Amino acid sequence: MSQLRENWRVVMLVTLLILSAVALFVPGVPPGTTGSEGAATDRSTNLNYGIQLSGGTRLRAPIVGITAEGINVTEADRVQLESTLAEELDIDSIDVRVRPRGPDRQMGAVEVVTENVTQSELRTALGNNGYQPETVRDGVTAETRQEMVRSIDEKLRTSALSGASVQIVNVPGGENFVSITAPDRDREELVDILNERGVVKIYAVYPGGEGGSYVREEVLQRDQMDDISASTQSEQGNNWAVFITVRPEAADEFSQRMVDAGFGDGANCGNYNHSDIQQTEGDGCLVHTLNGEVVTARGVRADLGESFANGEFSNDPVYIVPTNGSEQANEIALNLEAGQLPAPLDLSQDSGASLDPALAERFKQNSLVTGLIAVLMVSLVVYARYKRAEVVIPMIVTALSEVFILLGFVAFVQYPLNLSHLAGFIAVIGTGVDDLIIIADEILQEGKVETGRVFQSRFRKAFWVIGAAAATTIMAMSPLMVLPLGDLSGFAIITIVGVLIGVLVTRPAYGDILRSLVLDED
Amino acid sequence: MFEFEVPEVDYTQYSNRQLVAVPLVVLGLALAVIFGWWVVTGAPVDRGIDFTGGTELTIGTDSEYTNEEINSLFDEPTVSVQGINTGTDAEYENQYVVTFDNSVNTESVRTTVQSNEDLTLLGSGNTSPLFGAQNQRLAVIGVGVAFLGMSLLAFAFFRTFVPSIAIVVSAFSDIMIPIAIMNLLGIKLSLGIVAALLMLIGYSVDSDILLNNHVLRRSGGFYESTHRAMQTGVTMTVTSIAAMAVMAVSATLFGIDLMADIGLILVLGLTADLMNTYMLNVTLLRWYKYEGVKR
Repeated sequence: MSQLRENWRVVMLVTLLILSAVALFVPGVPPGTTGSEGAATDRSTNLNYGIQLSGGTRLRAPIVGITAEGINVTEADRVQLESTLAEELDIDSIDVRVRPRGPDRQMGAVEVVTENVTQSELRTALGNNGYQPETVRDGVTAETRQEMVRSIDEKLRTSALSGASVQIVNVPGGENFVSITAPDRDREELVDILNERGVVKIYAVYPGGEGGSYVREEVLQRDQMDDISASTQSEQGNNWAVFITVRPEAADEFSQRMVDAGFGDGANCGNYNHSDIQQTEGDGCLVHTLNGEVVTARGVRADLGESFANGEFSNDPVYIVPTNGSEQANEIALNLEAGQLPAPLDLSQDSGASLDPALAERFKQNSLVTGLIAVLMVSLVVYARYKRAEVVIPMIVTALSEVFILLGFVAFVQYPLNLSHLAGFIAVIGTGVDDLIIIADEILQEGKVETGRVFQSRFRKAFWVIGAAAATTIMAMSPLMVLPLGDLSGFAIITIVGVLIGVLVTRPAYGDILRSLVLDED
Repeated sequence: MFEFEVPEVDYTQYSNRQLVAVPLVVLGLALAVIFGWWVVTGAPVDRGIDFTGGTELTIGTDSEYTNEEINSLFDEPTVSVQGINTGTDAEYENQYVVTFDNSVNTESVRTTVQSNEDLTLLGSGNTSPLFGAQNQRLAVIGVGVAFLGMSLLAFAFFRTFVPSIAIVVSAFSDIMIPIAIMNLLGIKLSLGIVAALLMLIGYSVDSDILLNNHVLRRSGGFYESTHRAMQTGVTMTVTSIAAMAVMAVSATLFGIDLMADIGLILVLGLTADLMNTYMLNVTLLRWYKYEGVKR
């Protein structure tokens, strides 16, 4: 027992090595992965590779738009202001968005998401309507950025892209941009997916075909919709629904279609067959599908039918898609929104990379070879210097175990590895071996390490230098961790985590190992 | 099997002035190169596409092309064409990395390669001038903050002016010398090189702290302490140089630019560090120990 306590650093090193092995090799251990997935994709480890090492495409692009902030506008004025501004700026009303004051924001904002409007034009237009913005700047509101991430994420998921991710990157004192990573896709495919339209459809199904058969007709298309929101139907308690504002110019046409479909006096949907979008009885239904599957099918209330027939619908053209719960309502709203991104991405200003999987695979192998050659070289130099296997072998093993623990950490947090991270591994080996040399020289200096106290004092002396050096390395790397400098953030994170693991666990353990080996010998 | 002994240097033979002269002259030359570059080109270093914006394509093919032939494939002007040793197991016999400046549309040069049956587009990278400018601003901030932080820590560790400033000057010189050599060799600044410069700050300080610690915080005479620190410090630095040198060579052969850049810069910087630590730093410490303390 006492020996265990004395060598607690070695015990801790071994524990961490075992944990890392589990994180690396046992399928399904890292959170967010499943055992079966690991088996199905013939991955021998739980490591997650970024596009530089597994191929794929990354795009980073700014969001098109200008925003006027600090405007005293309330929800009541929102729709009116949106359409007035659209008219005044001569743009599509879908490209103007008013963010009224509310629980989430103290002051309202107006954003214009098209390239055709300048900041001063927006300021003038707002002024003409009696609003004085505090600031007008490039970029969009935080809400829109979040909606961008949600709708791009939705697009990526519906296009069956596995492992794709999207995030907002903030540049301190600068613009925000969207960063999208998609493995297994080249640049053109990714851009196509981003431009793809929504997959929610609204059909009218009614008897009108030959021999009394039912026909299905799409009655409301994405470009006829203006505002889309998911919320509860207040008058009907807790029923979640998607509220679609039909664009004013399309409202009459929509009403006419409904009347033509025979819904002008209401319709009883009857027992709609949900599985095959076919109907055999009843007056007709309004059917809502998501990715081809039926979400809900409803009839038309008599008063609603009348409003189609007499044109009243156009006065308040809100189409309500009933859903089964809030989750479904949000999903449909998101899909409809995703059909068109809340704001366009400025792809002419993008930065990106695209790599063929085969080339990425070669990069992976070649950098592994390069790393191994570097480690071999280190071993040779250290051996030439000390010429004692009991000093050199534990040194190399310790340095490598640092890398192994770091790999375990990376596998556990499912951090996608790129070339820059491998450079970080090399930096960790480099500082690691430096520190081990300091420890070795301190402990092996003349005068035997007879007592624990001598060892402790030498160890402490060595540790002061190591700690100070580690603090400087971490200090040097920390700015990169915060600044969004492409791949360099990952390099810095790996280096810092590696140095911490090294200084706190592995490098002190080497001292213990060396001590027992040297003491044995004496 | 080769032998590696750290030589014992008899510092008593040399005066402070003699010892300091070499690293200061080298630093002066490096600064002159960088400053001259600044005056002539408008920037202290040649910036690569990470900072200026531009597009880089990696093309695989089984045919042999000269650089001129590659140039003529594109309507757009190329900045550089680099052939890569693909090795025996590679998918394609030849691989070329073609760089364009920021006036080029990435989609259009990608299409040029994709529509050529003899060529396969293996990869592309592009940076817009907007991101390039952003990268540049952030890189300057990053290196600046790192250097400032390192300096503050150095002063916090030793709490006396001369030994602390010795660390700072030595680290400064370790960064400037590789940058000057980079300019002379025609290597362009990339994000990988920025990473290498930051790594250099960490490495450079290691051996300086070790030396200061031995001389200032240990018992024993100046020369004995220095010798001991050198035993350890030179081993450390030479080990790192060896590792980085093979990494630079191997990564260059494999065409892994990022690692090649890091390796090369570290070899240059660590070699400069050997000189700066054991000529500049040692001398400043000797002056401090024998004359500075008495004042």
